[in-house]
Amino acid sequence: MTTITYPLSRIEGHARVVIDVHDNEVFRADFQAMEIRGFGHYVRGVPAEQITVIVPRICGVCSTAHQVASVKALEDTFGITPPPLALDIREVLLLGQLIQNQATSLFIFTMPDRANASSLFELSQSETGKAREFSLAQNALRIRKIGTDLISLAGGQFIHPIKTVIGGVTSGITREKADRMIQTIQELLPVATELVDIYWEMSMEMGDRIGSWGDDEPTHYLASTEANNFRLNSQRLRVMQPDGTEALSFDPHDFEAYLQVAESEYSYAGVSSYMGQIVRANSLARINLTESLGTPRADTYLKRFVQTFGKPAHAIMFFDLCRGIELVYALEKAQQMLECDLEHGDTEVGYTPKDGTGFGLVEAPRGPLIHRYEVENGLIKSADFVIPTVHNMLAIRRALMVAAKRYVSPEGISAELERAVGRVVRAFDPCIACATK
Amino acid sequence: METPKDLPKFAVLQLSGCSGCEVSLLNSDEWISNFQLVYMPLVVTTHKIPEDVEVLLVTGGVRTDEDIHNLRKGRARARKLIAVGTCALSGGVAQFKDKHIARESFIKASHRLRMPDMLPNAYPLDRFVDVDLYLPGCPPTPELFLTALKDPENAKIASIVCQECGRQKLNDMRPKHITGMRSGVVLPDICLINQGYVCVGTSTRGGCGALCTRPGHACVGCRGPANPHLNKDPEFVLDNLRRVFTRMTDIPIEEINATLASPWLSLFLGQFTDYTQDQSLPQRTKEKML
Repeated sequence: MTTITYPLSRIEGHARVVIDVHDNEVFRADFQAMEIRGFGHYVRGVPAEQITVIVPRICGVCSTAHQVASVKALEDTFGITPPPLALDIREVLLLGQLIQNQATSLFIFTMPDRANASSLFELSQSETGKAREFSLAQNALRIRKIGTDLISLAGGQFIHPIKTVIGGVTSGITREKADRMIQTIQELLPVATELVDIYWEMSMEMGDRIGSWGDDEPTHYLASTEANNFRLNSQRLRVMQPDGTEALSFDPHDFEAYLQVAESEYSYAGVSSYMGQIVRANSLARINLTESLGTPRADTYLKRFVQTFGKPAHAIMFFDLCRGIELVYALEKAQQMLECDLEHGDTEVGYTPKDGTGFGLVEAPRGPLIHRYEVENGLIKSADFVIPTVHNMLAIRRALMVAAKRYVSPEGISAELERAVGRVVRAFDPCIACATK
Repeated sequence: METPKDLPKFAVLQLSGCSGCEVSLLNSDEWISNFQLVYMPLVVTTHKIPEDVEVLLVTGGVRTDEDIHNLRKGRARARKLIAVGTCALSGGVAQFKDKHIARESFIKASHRLRMPDMLPNAYPLDRFVDVDLYLPGCPPTPELFLTALKDPENAKIASIVCQECGRQKLNDMRPKHITGMRSGVVLPDICLINQGYVCVGTSTRGGCGALCTRPGHACVGCRGPANPHLNKDPEFVLDNLRRVFTRMTDIPIEEINATLASPWLSLFLGQFTDYTQDQSLPQRTKEKML
C-alpha cells in the first residue's frame, strides 16, 4: 500500500489530501482538515449579546456571513423582526461578501491553475504574454476590492464587521457614499465581465487540455436562495434531486431532519449528508436551483451556462464558472440596491433579551450557513454552527476519488494527480477555519 | 505587481487563526511592489519557507505541535519576524485562560488519527520564539500593515482609541446603570461611556481609526493594552477602567465591579486581548509595539 499526501495551498486554512494506492488501485481519497478551532467550546457561558462579536472570528474570509447568521439567531430567540431598511442593508453587506469571496476564489485561488502558474502574481512567468497577465492581476484585485469596500460601507469594517446588530443595523448608507460606490461599480463592471470572459475561455481550454471537467455524477444540491429571488439574507433551504426536480424546502429550525452532521475519524472537519446521501452546496448548487437572477448581464451568463452545459449541470469545474456568474450578479445587484434610498427610515427595532433557542440562516458564499443558539439566564448554553464546507465534504471525497482513479493506472501514478487534486479541492472553495469552527 | 528576484524576500506563515489577517494584508497591496513574495500558502503554491527571508509575518496563535515546529523553523530562516494580529499576540479568541470547563471539553473533542495534536491552549508566539515587532488588531487594518512593512520606527500611533473616535465626552451626561455591550439606539457623536456602554477604548491602543466606536459599537479592545498598560497585571487595567467609569458615570461601584467581572469580561479581557498577559513571557517594550 502506498499512501500519498498532498499538502494544499490556495485554499483557506490548513488541509491535505491523502490517497491510498495498492497495486494500481485507489482505495481511499480523503480530504483532511488539520486543525480545530473549537468555537462551540469557547462561547459556552458567554453573554448572549456578545456572541455576535465573537463568532465572526470563526473565519476572516466569511466573517460577514457568520455575523449576520449570529444576529439572526438571536433575533429569532428574542422574537423580533428588523425593519425592511435594515434587511436591505444586510443584503448589500452579503453581496459585498459574495463579490470579495468569488473574486478571491476565481482569480487568486483558481486562475493560476488555468495558466499553470503558482500564484496570481506569478502569472507573468507562465506561457501567456506578460503585459496581459499584469493587467489581469491588477484588475482582479480591483474587482475584489469592490467587495471589500461594500462590506466596509454596509458593515463598518471589512473583516469582522460590526454594523449589523440585534434588531437591525446601526446606521443607513448616505446618498453621497452610495453614489460614490455606484460610480466605482459602473466603472469596473465592464472590467469584471471581461475578466469573467477570460476566465471562462481559460477554463474551456483547460477542460480541453485535461479532457475532463471532473466528477460529473448527478447529485443532490442544497441552497437557500430562491428560484426567482436570489436573496442571500435567506429564509428557507431548498434541495434539488439529482435529476433536476426540486425535492423539498425546509425551515432552518428543522435542519436536523434533513441534514445529518457526523464527526470524521481522520479529519477535524465534520461530514454532513442529506438524508444519508451526498449533497453539494456552493455556487453550482445555487445556479442549478436558480431560474432567473434578475439582473441583465448575469442573466445573460446564466442563459449561456444553461445552454452550454444543461440544467442541472454536474461536473465540478462548473462550480468555478458559476462563481463568475455570481460575481457579475452581485456587482449588478449591489448597484441596483444602492440606487434605492438606504439612508432614511428606521434602521433598527428595540428588543428585550429572552431565553430560548434560535436559528439564524444566511446563504454564505459556500452555501447555507446556520447558527443555532440555546440561551439560558442570558448566557449561551450551547451553540452549534452548521457549516457549508461540511455539507460538501462527501462530494469533495467522491470527486477526489474520481480524479485519483483517472491518474492512477498500470503505468503508475501520474504527476498530473497533484495538480488535479488541487483543482478538485479548489472547485469547492472549502473553508477550513469554518469547517472546524 | 511583478516580483523581481532582487527584491527582499517576504513570507507569511499562518498558524491557528481565521485568515482575517491575510485578507486584510491582501487589501494593502502596495507590498507587492516592494517585496518578493516567497511563501504564503493562501495565495501561492509553496510548501516551504525558503532561506534568507527578510520579513516573515506570522499570524494566528500556537495551537498544535505542528504550529510550534513551523514557527521555530520560520524564525530560523527570517531576519525579522513580525507577530501579526491578536491571536499571535495573545492566543486571541481561541485562548482559554481560566475557562477550565471549556478547555476540558475542547481537549476531549480534539484528537484524530494521524492528525496534529492540540495543545492545552492557544499560545502567543513569544512563548516560543523572539519577536521583532508586534502588530496587534483583529485584524490589523491595511494601513497598519503598510506602516509595519515600511517604516515602523517612525510610526505615529494614537495612544488610545478615544483619540481617533471623535465622540465627545460630556460632563453632564451621567448614566446611572450599565447599558451593556450594545443594545438600543446609540446616540451619534457622544461618548459611548456617557451612554452607559461597556467600551474599553480608554485603555486600548489606538491606530485602528476607531472603526468600531465611530459607527456606535463599543470597543472590545482587540488592539490590546495602550503603552502605559503594557506588561501590567490585569488588576491594573481593571483599576483604570473602574476609574474611568467612576469619573464619567453615576453607576454604583458594585455594578461597575460586577460588570468588570466574569462573564461580562469574558470577551474583552479574557479572550480578545493580552491584558491578562502571562507574566512569564518576555516584556513587550513600546518600541516593539505598533
